[in-house]
Amino acid sequence: MTPTGRSRLAVMLCDAQFWVPVAVLLGGLLVLAWIR
Amino acid sequence: MDPLAPTAGIDAARLRRLQLAGVASGFTAGAWLGAAEAPTKVVALGLSPVVISLTMVLGVFLARWSVPALLRGTAAIGADVRQAPHLVAWAVLAGCLWAVANTLTVFAIRDIGLAIAFPLWNANSLLGILWGAVFFNELHGAGWSRRLGVLGGAVLMCAGAALLAVASAAGTPGGHAGRGVVAALAAGALWGTMYIPYRKAYLTGMNPLAFVTFFSVGEVGLMTALALADRGGPGPLAAELAGARTVLFWLLLGGFVWVVGDLFQQYAAKYVGISRGIPLSNTNQLWGLVWGLLVFGELRGRPGATYGQVIGGSLLMALGAAAIALASATGAEHRRWQEAAAREGTRYGIDPAYVRAALAGESAGPAPSRRSWLDWTLVCVATAVFVAFGLIARVPQLPLGWGWVVGLAAAMLGLLCSTGLLLWRTTRFN
Repeated sequence: MTPTGRSRLAVMLCDAQFWVPVAVLLGGLLVLAWIR
Repeated sequence: MDPLAPTAGIDAARLRRLQLAGVASGFTAGAWLGAAEAPTKVVALGLSPVVISLTMVLGVFLARWSVPALLRGTAAIGADVRQAPHLVAWAVLAGCLWAVANTLTVFAIRDIGLAIAFPLWNANSLLGILWGAVFFNELHGAGWSRRLGVLGGAVLMCAGAALLAVASAAGTPGGHAGRGVVAALAAGALWGTMYIPYRKAYLTGMNPLAFVTFFSVGEVGLMTALALADRGGPGPLAAELAGARTVLFWLLLGGFVWVVGDLFQQYAAKYVGISRGIPLSNTNQLWGLVWGLLVFGELRGRPGATYGQVIGGSLLMALGAAAIALASATGAEHRRWQEAAAREGTRYGIDPAYVRAALAGESAGPAPSRRSWLDWTLVCVATAVFVAFGLIARVPQLPLGWGWVVGLAAAMLGLLCSTGLLLWRTTRFN
């Protein structure tokens, strides 16, 4: 019952734990662009 | 329910050994991460901070592809990735978070100085405790005394870090205070959040040695992009690197030392969780200060109040670390970790036996085979790069406390060997 690569990707994209680091990374890049 | 009762599949004695291995890994990580700054101190001023960071990351990259190949072999790393290939994306994401955080610290130090910046980004341990509790069931079922031990210990360590940072500040830089505070807080948020992918990977079953190899891809990729943007393209960046070739060895060495510390940090995150692993490895500030004081003669001639701050800050950090080390996870809390691991396994369709074995510090697959030609090639290439830069390296003309260098290096090697042996006997580096 192992999911395929595509369905694992779909699960990851629906995982709130994935979007928290992504949001923080984007925020960090924005801060970096602002202070440079 | 008896909090010391054994967890399913892991007896109480095994759980205690895993916790001990995790706590020892956290303290060893602190020693090596703190020492990573030492080689960078011998580099003369004039090199761009972003280029210093990039060169260290290149050293990190070399070490992260050769040390795991030597310890476990690329075949075992490949087998790990086949079990949970989606974790490669998480590892790359964590590497990107690290690269941006590290660059932000450079700007924070420039604008507000180390004294204010360091404790601000050291607050990452408090964020790590939050994410650990919210996402991974850490501190659930732990009882109030252990929760208080971890939270109180982290707060004590932050207070100690603030005192140490004030004492070690060289001066008050001018500039944009608000911008610097935002940069330091953002770095703390990035580093605290970076542990979500760490914990995710280790609860799911990925071996730390496999995770770090892909982590370094995100790290070196984004750091290169940032350096290119900062320097204005490949030409100026290459010219600056070529001009600094006689000191690049020290930066690569700093990266290598950092990787050893980070490997232990990964095992700490795996076996005691991020809520305890992050604060324990944050003792790196204490080790950095010891190197600065004893080897580089920093703070010489400073007023007595400064030494009072150093002693007070060190005591607070040591007390906080001891409180966290003594608040290790009980059987009841470990059962909640297993629930979180089972949830991850079900969500991503991973073999439950693989997830259970990894959480118990065991391997679900066959024992790692002998090293392949690819493993030896990676080790030889990394060694050759270090030797080549070492041969052209300029030995710095700095008054160093060589006796202390030998003593501290011996202490670090002692920690490396004893904790490495403990990890090997307990988990076989799983």
